[in-house]
Amino acid sequence: MGGLNTTLLVGMQALEATQGALAATSNNIANANTPGYTREVPQFSENEQSISGSDVSGGGVSLEGLQSVRDELLNLQIQNQTSLQSSVDMQSSTLQQIQSYFSSTSGDDISSELAAFSSSLSQLSATPTSAAAQQGVISTGQDLANAFNTTANGLTSAQSYADGQVTQTVAQINSLTQQIAQLNGQLAQTSTTVNDGGTVEDQRDELVQQLSALTGISITQSNDGETITTGNGTPLVMGSQSFTLQTTTGSDGMQQVLDSTGKNITASIQGGTLGGAIQVRDQTIPGILTQLNTLASQFATAFNAAQAKGFDSNGNAGQNFFSVPVNPANAASGISVSISNPALVAISSDGSAGSNGNVANLSAAVSGALPSGSTPADSYANVVFQVGTAASNATAQSTAIGLNLQQLTTQQGSVSAVSTDEEASNLILFQTAYEAAARIVSTIQQLNTVTLDMGTTGGY
Amino acid sequence: MRVDPNMVPDMLSAIQQSQTSLNTALEQVATGKSVNVPSDNPSAAANMVQNTIETASVDQYTQNVSGVLSTVQTADSALSSVVSSLTQAVSLGTEGANGTSSTSNQQAIAVQVQGILSSVLSQANMSYQGAYLFGGTASTAAPYTVDSASPSGYTYNGNNDVNSVQVGDQMNVQVNLPGSQIFSNSSANVLGSLSSLVSALQSGSTSAISTATNAVSAALGYVSQQRVFYGNAESQLNSQETYLQQETVSLASQQNSLVGVDEAAAATNLNQAETDNSAALAAAAKVLPNTLLSYLAPPT
Repeated sequence: MGGLNTTLLVGMQALEATQGALAATSNNIANANTPGYTREVPQFSENEQSISGSDVSGGGVSLEGLQSVRDELLNLQIQNQTSLQSSVDMQSSTLQQIQSYFSSTSGDDISSELAAFSSSLSQLSATPTSAAAQQGVISTGQDLANAFNTTANGLTSAQSYADGQVTQTVAQINSLTQQIAQLNGQLAQTSTTVNDGGTVEDQRDELVQQLSALTGISITQSNDGETITTGNGTPLVMGSQSFTLQTTTGSDGMQQVLDSTGKNITASIQGGTLGGAIQVRDQTIPGILTQLNTLASQFATAFNAAQAKGFDSNGNAGQNFFSVPVNPANAASGISVSISNPALVAISSDGSAGSNGNVANLSAAVSGALPSGSTPADSYANVVFQVGTAASNATAQSTAIGLNLQQLTTQQGSVSAVSTDEEASNLILFQTAYEAAARIVSTIQQLNTVTLDMGTTGGY
Repeated sequence: MRVDPNMVPDMLSAIQQSQTSLNTALEQVATGKSVNVPSDNPSAAANMVQNTIETASVDQYTQNVSGVLSTVQTADSALSSVVSSLTQAVSLGTEGANGTSSTSNQQAIAVQVQGILSSVLSQANMSYQGAYLFGGTASTAAPYTVDSASPSGYTYNGNNDVNSVQVGDQMNVQVNLPGSQIFSNSSANVLGSLSSLVSALQSGSTSAISTATNAVSAALGYVSQQRVFYGNAESQLNSQETYLQQETVSLASQQNSLVGVDEAAAATNLNQAETDNSAALAAAAKVLPNTLLSYLAPPT
């Protein structure tokens, strides 16, 4: 009789195991679109056979558990590339904003206004006594100063936008590291019993992935869970403990990032939105601004010097045409035309109203070499080239990393993603298996009934 | 090997990519430019800075040339009429110096020469668009006014300076000669010699008339020489105008090659991008809804 009962037990085990597998399948289907979810595969194993004399019976099946299918190396690579990508994206989007100020299609950029100013001077050369031509020089000079102001202000506002990003991103990083530390704590408890962290590990990996988009990180595994540091080694998470980053306003008015001990780590942060924002804020934009400021101040000085060489329409020595703030860092944003009376343009070289002798000096200040060694047009062209190159490089890098990332994600998907087709066929598989196991149980039940009824009905 | 079951990201990125090319192609066709922001082609954008400035300059130089050309032509025609006036004065003087000329004849000639003198004076005070042509750079006041204290009877109010007008990056053309050089030069004073001729005719002294006529004749020769300057300036300006026209064309063609777009190529690109985009969309629509479930019979 032991034989039938053993078979019943085997059938029961099969029912349980298949039920577990069906549950795994339904959970896979349910989470098919959950970010960070890795598919779970039921782990069946056959039980030991029992042999007693000539009676051999199978031990049945048991469901060891569910194994999440994940590739840690791929995860690391994806985190790495994500950091790079979001850094480059941050730079690219800022540069795209900035470069519109340097586009000559608008017609009111510095090059167009410089051209108009130069033309108005040349017109003055032909008609030195025309009030309209004199007024033209004043107006185009104001337009040029405005173009400098607009461009510099555009750069500054992009810079403060990036600065705002630094504060926001640091807050997000802190919230994420806290959650990761918490999950690490949970994992440390569960992983003692089961080898796989399952859904908790999925959640943690997803958060780490989000963290890697914010700043470049490096991860090391240890007995008490993952240790996450920034690229240069500032700890963010150690096991179940998280370390908070802080921001403080620096001497230049920009937000500086401090680690949990208060050390300034701003310059060493790379990668992620945070790294990109800091790069754009502290390197890219100041680089362009400095050149614009130098150009504005040298140009104004050269033009004022040319004004001083001549006489205005009243026969007085030429006054300053442009005024520039004393602080060289504000030259481009603060340059303005300091005279409003057209008669004050120093056209004459000999003091008589009809002379145009000084116009040549004024024109030479616009087209000649500045102390920097190149002409205003060349200096500005150089800035345009740098902005354009930086923007196009950032975009190209973003595209390249994007492709790389896409490939990695596809690889990860091939390992970990839920395939509805696969789950549908598993569903059929487990359905059939469950039906078969149920049939075993009902068959044994019938056999038991037959055995129990032996001798009562029918008859031997 | 297992394949990535999730086709959505790939599909989306393909659609996005074709959308980007579509946008670029559309922008190029719509604007006629291949460089709309510096990142489209940084070096072309940088070169365009110089091109923009040069184009504006050449436009202005062209306007300057035509403006200055009229001034120079006006001055030249003023001098031309001075020359013919002086020629007439010389022949009148010669007639007056002739011994057979009666006193009343000489008086009549004197009146004629006086008329010539005022005509020459008005030419010397010629203005163009409000600026006196022969006052040096002092162009706001009439160069010559009557002054009985002066030996010639007229004072020069101008100066000895000249203006040069910029008509090219490296080219300035001198556009005037001061009146002091043309009309009241120490060696050949036009106004002075005419005044002397009038006085000599009025006095009736043939020898004085003859001396004065010689002086007018010398002034005539001198003025004719000075006219050469204006002729030169005119021809310089004319050739500069031709050069500037060529320059305008070559700058426009440079601009076109830097940031312009080949219309045919742009239209083809647009067409291609449209096709790519439709293909990506069609593929997504065809593939995405297809799963095993579509073929499984619903559970009974």
